[in-house]
Amino acid sequence: MAVIDHEVELRRAGANVRGWGGALLHFVRRYPLGAIGALIMLLFIATAIFANQITSYDPTSTNPRVSLAPPGEQHTLGADFMGRDVFSRIVYGARISLAVAIGATTLGCLIGVTIGLLSGFFGGWVDLIAQRLIDIMQALPLLVMALIMAASLGPSLTNTIIAIAIPLVPNVARVIRSNTLALREMPFVEAARAIGMSEARIAVQHVLPNTLAPLIVLGTAQFGSAILVESALAFLGLGVPEPHPSWGRMLSESAAEYVRTAPWLVIFPGIAISLVVFGTNLLGDAIRDILDPRQRI
Amino acid sequence: MPLKRALGCVLATAAICCVAAPALAQKSGGTLRIYHRDNLPSGSIHEEATISTVGPFMSVFNNLVLYDQQKKLNSPDNIVPELAESWAWDAGKTKLTFKLRQGVKWHDGKPFTAKDVQCTWNKLTGKDNDDFRKNPRAIWWHNLKEVTVNGDYEVTFNLNRPQASFLSLFASGYTPVYPCHVSTKDMRTNPIGTGPFKFVEFKRGESVTFARNPDYWKKGEPYLDGIEWKVIENRSTRILAFVAGEFDMTFNADVTVPLLKDVTSQAPKAICELVPTYVSTNLIINPKAAPFNDLKIRKAMALALDRKAYVDILSGGKDDISGVMLPPPEGLWGMPPEELQKLPGYAADVEKSRAEARKIMESLGYSEAKPLKIKVSTRNIAIYRDPAVILIDQLKKIYVDGELEVIDTSIWHAKVTRGEYSVGLNLTGVGVDDPDVNLYENYSCNSERNLTQYCNKDVDALIDKQSQETDTAKRKQLVWEIERKLAEDLARPIISYGRAATCWHPHVKGFVLHANGIYNNWRFEDVWLDK
Amino acid sequence: MGTYLIRRLLLMVVTLFGMSVLIFVMLRLVPGNITDIIFDSAGFVNPAAKKKIERELGLDQPIVTQYVSWISGLARGDLGYAYVSEKPAIEEILPRIPVTAKLAVLALVFSVLFGVPLGVMSAVRQNTALDYALRVVSLSGLSLPSFWLGLLILMAFVHWFGWIPIYKSNTGSFWHDLALLSIPAAAVGFRSSALVMRLTRSSMLEVMRQDYIRTARAKGASDPAVNYDHALRNAVLPVVTIIGIEAAFLIGGLIVTETVFNIPGVARFLVEAIRWRDYPIVQNLVMFIAIVVVVTNFIVDMLYVVLDPRIKYEE
Repeated sequence: MAVIDHEVELRRAGANVRGWGGALLHFVRRYPLGAIGALIMLLFIATAIFANQITSYDPTSTNPRVSLAPPGEQHTLGADFMGRDVFSRIVYGARISLAVAIGATTLGCLIGVTIGLLSGFFGGWVDLIAQRLIDIMQALPLLVMALIMAASLGPSLTNTIIAIAIPLVPNVARVIRSNTLALREMPFVEAARAIGMSEARIAVQHVLPNTLAPLIVLGTAQFGSAILVESALAFLGLGVPEPHPSWGRMLSESAAEYVRTAPWLVIFPGIAISLVVFGTNLLGDAIRDILDPRQRI
Repeated sequence: MPLKRALGCVLATAAICCVAAPALAQKSGGTLRIYHRDNLPSGSIHEEATISTVGPFMSVFNNLVLYDQQKKLNSPDNIVPELAESWAWDAGKTKLTFKLRQGVKWHDGKPFTAKDVQCTWNKLTGKDNDDFRKNPRAIWWHNLKEVTVNGDYEVTFNLNRPQASFLSLFASGYTPVYPCHVSTKDMRTNPIGTGPFKFVEFKRGESVTFARNPDYWKKGEPYLDGIEWKVIENRSTRILAFVAGEFDMTFNADVTVPLLKDVTSQAPKAICELVPTYVSTNLIINPKAAPFNDLKIRKAMALALDRKAYVDILSGGKDDISGVMLPPPEGLWGMPPEELQKLPGYAADVEKSRAEARKIMESLGYSEAKPLKIKVSTRNIAIYRDPAVILIDQLKKIYVDGELEVIDTSIWHAKVTRGEYSVGLNLTGVGVDDPDVNLYENYSCNSERNLTQYCNKDVDALIDKQSQETDTAKRKQLVWEIERKLAEDLARPIISYGRAATCWHPHVKGFVLHANGIYNNWRFEDVWLDK
Repeated sequence: MGTYLIRRLLLMVVTLFGMSVLIFVMLRLVPGNITDIIFDSAGFVNPAAKKKIERELGLDQPIVTQYVSWISGLARGDLGYAYVSEKPAIEEILPRIPVTAKLAVLALVFSVLFGVPLGVMSAVRQNTALDYALRVVSLSGLSLPSFWLGLLILMAFVHWFGWIPIYKSNTGSFWHDLALLSIPAAAVGFRSSALVMRLTRSSMLEVMRQDYIRTARAKGASDPAVNYDHALRNAVLPVVTIIGIEAAFLIGGLIVTETVFNIPGVARFLVEAIRWRDYPIVQNLVMFIAIVVVVTNFIVDMLYVVLDPRIKYEE
């Protein structure tokens, strides 16, 4: 057994923290990298929400006079081949990326939680089938799975979300299942059963809330990979289609052609993607530290 | 004395010529390295309608006649003999007889005879049992009644009616002679020809290689030991590779105007020629889908087009605003700008046209507050999507709210053929700069490649009429009359004909890029490397 | 152990069977089939000729019949004919595997070479500036789209050296091949090395908190020796896991990297075959990838047993 310094552990856990401001201050002090991540994410979400206040350019309107215009006064980050303002495309692109990331993560988690919960709580043949389903889904690397899904469904925003969500399912289902298995034997579940609560109700009311912590940890990690997978799909010509100003699409095909003549077309969207995913990862690490200290990295 | 000096000058000039000539003598040897832009579908030129196949595989074959590889213009005057040594029309202008070259061998050693010619055209007209899986240019030969042979070295093409530019159809890279004794399947995977290069290997997604044909009937040619086409699908990668000297030559028309600046600045010695690709960007409007069955709406849409803005964006102003035929100076049949401007939607004052268009739309009950909502369909490839995005932007100006619908590239033609679109943005390539090819393929009632299934009996009659007209000036007037009718019917409004550059490093000699057709100058028999 | 092995093997077969059904059905959901693609390059569609080709390729058969003929072919080692090249599918797939395998191995070597030492360093100097810097670098490795990184690398090479590191077949020289492949391998391996580094760090920290390290220290072993020797040996287990999982995951990263660097491997070929609706290629290639993944997972689990005597699989 390791010797535990209770004083230190309590402080780590924030036992002396009072109020919201205090909690915030504690978070920033304790997890400076996480705080930076949170800041990036806030900026990202704010950009997506206030896109029309941030930029006055319509991200889809073309202008022959400024085709491939370099960054300057008129166009802060330059203009693309069709004379569309790169800055406003990145700003509006935040919406698409956010939609894809939130959509795919939520959908993936919903399906994963359902499968995990059913399989962990009911066991038996439900579990057997669910496990095999997950095995199958996990037999292909995430991008390969997403690629085949995206090709089957055809190009559209919704289909891209689905294509990215499905490969995210197995991880979630696995974690939820193992948590559920542990929780099933807990005294409070036994108690609920004793007072005659139905199994389904126990699952939703008692087990589900207790799996929230690992779910949040997983969710943040998947949020970032959803954005990355979308960009890779777009690069391969299968992501969110035009005219949506998706960051991945901005980087792909026609933009990549101008990697030398107009590097701003490739560099800025790339930075946008990397920065947001970086922010998610920083924040994700901090959240994991807080919610799941066993897996501290 | 002055005379002597003059003579001296002449002599000196002659001496320079003589000295210079050996320096220009062709060197033999070396492999020409060219990059290929995508995965080529098959090696059978007759079954494909893409430069992806013609570019590499034209060097395997010979035609009966061919556009002179050393002259820039594809015109009837520049047609030279290949497997046919000579040709002659009968008095009624319905029988074209070719006298064939003797002693020519296929790459597998079998002799070439008139039977092979007959076989090839029987396949093209569906009279052979082992016919082509697909036959995209069947319409070219709709006037061909039958092919008859007279001995091993004479063949006659019998027509239903006179056809002025029939010989031009034989001069395209799309019209090689196939061997009778090789199945169409083998021609797709392992083609046999009589041409300067033998097919060696096709590694899918990787490379296609060709080796010198040592028994080529043109003595001394070809100069190259071989040609290697390497597939690089990513355009930024392949342009970088050309600049870095990995390749002697780019793929045909692969360097777009914005990229050209980069290539010429990074590889200043490279020779780049910006020529028309003879691929048009056009608007397809489904006349069967409401509300576009109303000609007024179609007209309003045509009036909304700002062609200048298109060409400025897509090619820095280098593309040609055009009607159906490629405009001069490269095009032999197109309307000059002053004629073009009289067509609906081509007027220089776009704002005025758009005001007119808005009036039409208002009369039909549309307005800023109540726009017409449409879907603009296009293929999921950048060269289709980019102009579609511009189209949507332009249609906003006349109360049309377009939403882009990108269609998976594999089902694009199937969907359009079934009429499952209302407004689409399409690209159309033309094989030979000749009205027969362009008009029959794209606008006649019976053509399979007439995507919009536009059918107007008057226009069909006019197309037949111009086809028989041997006087070029009169034929041009007929073609322009057809152009005006097509523009009024809004059959398939052409926005522009594109231009793109092909580049090669200066050590590639003897290569001439054609100016009004991209499918016809890839024989490579007189190309050599000065290294 | 015996029964466990049999159970595992059986489950593997079930998984692969499920995969085969899944991929078969999904492929047929993809809009358009090979005949549409064949006609695409001719710029028109002739319905009668299209039907004829479908018949030739057996696409007009009921889906169950098609599935059975594929699987029974597989059982005999016959992968069928590629639609596009009209060659046996095996001739298309096999020659492309070595390139991808080389690339994957190089990327793994790269990730271990960088990931493990940096991870150890980061753990030993926990919460120092170095640790923070390394963590930020590793996180950025997980955040960059790998094709973007590849593009930037290509650009840099052409810009500064006037030379482009794209793949050339038959260069003849082993070392030349290696040099050419190591650049894309680094682009892919950057991400994996970040993963390896993070995992090495966290498992090192875990181990260093354990008693016996403290004991070793108490017994007077010098600090570095304790850290590197004892701790690393125990931290190696989770690292093996991640490397195993990553080996399979690499295939995803390789798809885009092979595209950017124009490497004719299986990963890029898969995308191409999907685009061409070349079912025999896609089906067999996906099965191949699934087998690689499943078998790798199995080997990793077995390695666990070998490396950690505390783990025993029993019923």
